[in-house]
Amino acid sequence: MAAQETMWHDFIDAHKVADGYLLATIITPDPPASDPARLYNFQRWTNPYSVQTDLRYKLQYNPEMRLDKKEASTWLEIFSDYYKFVGVLLAAEEANNVGKAKEADWNAVYEGWKDVVSALHRGYSSGTLEAWTIPCLYVAGKYLRIFAIKADESTATQRDSGLVFGGIQEEDALVTVGQNDKLEDAARQINRIFALCLNDRSPLEESRKWALYSTANLLFKTYFRLNSINLCKTVLRSLKAGAADMPPLSAFPRAHQVTFKYYSGVVAFLDEDYATAEQFLESAYAMCLRSAAVNVRLILTYLIPTKMLTSHRLPTQALLKQSPQLERLFTPICFAIRSTDLQAFDQAMEAGEDEFVKRRIYLTLERGRDVILRNLFRRVFIAGGFEPAKEGEAGSQVVRRTRVPVKEFAAALMISGAGVGDGEGGVDGDEVECLVANSIYKNFMKGYIARERGIVVLSKGGAFPGTGV
Amino acid sequence: MQAAPSFTAVAARQQLQRSDPNQTQKVVWTSDVRQYVQRAFEDGNAIPGIDMTAMQEKLRAVITQATESGQLESINWATYPLPQEIIKTQRDQAVLYGTRSAVFANISAPSPDPSSQLSARKRKNYDMDATEAEDRATTPPWKKKQQNKSKKQIKKEERAEALRMNELSVNTDMLEKRRQRFGIVSPEPYPVLSPRDATPEPSLGPLVGTRQTLEKNYFRLTAPPAVDTVRPLPVLERALTHVLAKWENERNYHYACDQLKSMRQDLTVQHIKNEHTVKVYEAHARIALEKKDLGEYNQCQTQLRALYKSGLSGNVEEFTAYRILYIIYTCNRTDMNNMLADLTSTDKRLPGVQHALQVRSALASGNYHKFFKLCVDPPFISGHLLDLIIERERIAATAAICRAYKPDVSVRFLASELAFDGSDEDDSDDPDVGPRQCVGFLCDHGAESFIERKDDDVRFSTGKSLNLFEGLKKTAFGRVDIKGQI
Repeated sequence: MAAQETMWHDFIDAHKVADGYLLATIITPDPPASDPARLYNFQRWTNPYSVQTDLRYKLQYNPEMRLDKKEASTWLEIFSDYYKFVGVLLAAEEANNVGKAKEADWNAVYEGWKDVVSALHRGYSSGTLEAWTIPCLYVAGKYLRIFAIKADESTATQRDSGLVFGGIQEEDALVTVGQNDKLEDAARQINRIFALCLNDRSPLEESRKWALYSTANLLFKTYFRLNSINLCKTVLRSLKAGAADMPPLSAFPRAHQVTFKYYSGVVAFLDEDYATAEQFLESAYAMCLRSAAVNVRLILTYLIPTKMLTSHRLPTQALLKQSPQLERLFTPICFAIRSTDLQAFDQAMEAGEDEFVKRRIYLTLERGRDVILRNLFRRVFIAGGFEPAKEGEAGSQVVRRTRVPVKEFAAALMISGAGVGDGEGGVDGDEVECLVANSIYKNFMKGYIARERGIVVLSKGGAFPGTGV
Repeated sequence: MQAAPSFTAVAARQQLQRSDPNQTQKVVWTSDVRQYVQRAFEDGNAIPGIDMTAMQEKLRAVITQATESGQLESINWATYPLPQEIIKTQRDQAVLYGTRSAVFANISAPSPDPSSQLSARKRKNYDMDATEAEDRATTPPWKKKQQNKSKKQIKKEERAEALRMNELSVNTDMLEKRRQRFGIVSPEPYPVLSPRDATPEPSLGPLVGTRQTLEKNYFRLTAPPAVDTVRPLPVLERALTHVLAKWENERNYHYACDQLKSMRQDLTVQHIKNEHTVKVYEAHARIALEKKDLGEYNQCQTQLRALYKSGLSGNVEEFTAYRILYIIYTCNRTDMNNMLADLTSTDKRLPGVQHALQVRSALASGNYHKFFKLCVDPPFISGHLLDLIIERERIAATAAICRAYKPDVSVRFLASELAFDGSDEDDSDDPDVGPRQCVGFLCDHGAESFIERKDDDVRFSTGKSLNLFEGLKKTAFGRVDIKGQI
């Protein structure tokens, strides 16, 4: 009996000082470090037959507990669902621990937790639970996602071993049976929580809107895993639409801010809106705790290609050294760009393709090629030296030679391994012109091609914008 | 005002009256049927929980029905499900869909088993509650709460709704009454039921069709199909050859598309997923490509991808190449990333796939010169997809050329860069065909005033045309709208 008293003490304390985080530790499926046996004790405290009575004594007839009638009955519902859930969870964990992982019923765990979340949801939508308790919603969403993933994984292994057959055949018989059934369901449940917070009309001090960014982050995380990134935009849109009645982002906990900025940045990145992406990612990078190494790495995974595109800047060795993964991912590419080696660039892209594609940065990194071409053409321009000083103008500024034969660019491309050969040992001059034309078209280079004369006429002032030449 | 009700009663009885089973008893059973009966009685085939009498009744019903509908010869008795299996499927379905649908998932309507009595009672009920039933049909209850429901739920309910509708349509005397009220009197109350009016068939599980005709028009299913409207696999195999031959001769896309769609539907309702399924989808995809019907093509492509993934063999190289080109055309970066993630290293080594990937990388880096070179002599029938891409890329390349070249370029040069080589015209030997096509292209886009003759060359003023082609490029790369694309 006494062993589980700490749980009720915490519950009473949390209510006394309105500490939502403390309250959330009571309904979490992870027992707090100070009381590791909490779930077992809670399960042993009562049994399915007397759970209602026992809870009623604790919550309604307990002189220490100062809950009003509605609150008490809401918590009664939550705790009785929680009690059922703990039973299923402990059974699953036990099966796991004795090496019978296959018998652990994670689907039931997920459904059990979903019931707890629904009870919570009812508590909020009826207006019984106050806004200070919203950390309970963080916990609710967090574990919905975790248990859903576990449930889907166990279904997948069971399906592979022939234990479970695909669901009922739909009209279109060839559609593969959903492999993320539970996670998709979890996304819907989290979305319900999101709507619950978004539609709260109470004054800001006691509004559930304070849970918005945390819930949005969970949704992003889930949608990314489900590979339905477009749905993130819906969330962003509704946040934008409701922004006027919301506290500013900067007033939210830093953790919520960083994650939100990271996902907003990545969504913009995938949308090729690199300016917005850079803004969000830079800000997330600046705010992110340096000790959160994984988060820093994730932010940089997108910030580095973004910078490469927007300001043609490459990461320093020191930055990459922070994480072995980043180093492995970007060093070959950066090396190729720095040494204007097209062949090395192609090799690096090919070698890293699987990883780049997985992180969805392949199509962006690919555009690093443009930077190499720019650097290459710039080198040709510089190697061309200066115009001979004209007579009578002695003392005036020296001017670089601005008329560069296409042939010189062709030679540079051949050396760099651009593959502009015509297949018969010669150079395909039209392709060289095409590459030069592209550089001009994309504003990497200022000037024009005079085809009949076989030269490229470059601008006298700033032929290569942003490079000091 | 109202027409004589006696009429209706007659019409209705005609529906329910079946030919006397005694008449059909004279049929001589073939050895296949006899073996089927034998197998039904074998101890090894007994299913626990289904007793002998129920099985016998079902067996009688199955054979009676087959005889009556004249399918005794056409049914492949060696593979036809045994009566006890049919009962089991029905019971399983009853569990899945509720007892109501179990009543209708009954293969043999006029059999003396208890469920048919039940269904008869139901019909009577509907006669009496006709107005109520009609109400229900106009405002289905699920519509009210639809917004908080998941797609799955809605789908499920739609299916239930379809079943309900089917119940209503069974009630033909109500329809007949209505028809007469409006003065339409059918000369003969149709003795043969149309498929939708037919006694409700199972079809919630895999069925095996019995239709023998090669051609069949596509009709979108709103209710479970009847067995005699669905063609079994051997017929479908012959149908494909037949339709493809007809397509070769007549080139009637409307006909071919309709026929292929009905084949796809027959395969789907029978849950046939094999090499033939792949063949049908591949054939349809190719024809749709040829006719630039990308909506239809995309449907086939999605299914093909799932079929290949399930381990069926087909022309993976060819269709992977098409898929890459299709994604290029739709400008969908997310899809392209997923596509690249999907490709295995073996895939990437296939020449057809390599070609498509080269097209992709040429376009990604803006290398129009390389792109147009790749368009010459493409593998398989990628040309049809490339045609669509070329249109757009010509505009993009012209925009780049307009900015990079000054003051003008020779039309001959432009024609060769934009791959106007006169290859799709008869007199392709004439060196001027290409440039002529190129001038046509420029004029089509409103650039005729920027073409001028200088000395003995035709020149195109690049500087002046830049804005025009920049604008055109923006429109060309705007949203690609494809019917059927989500």
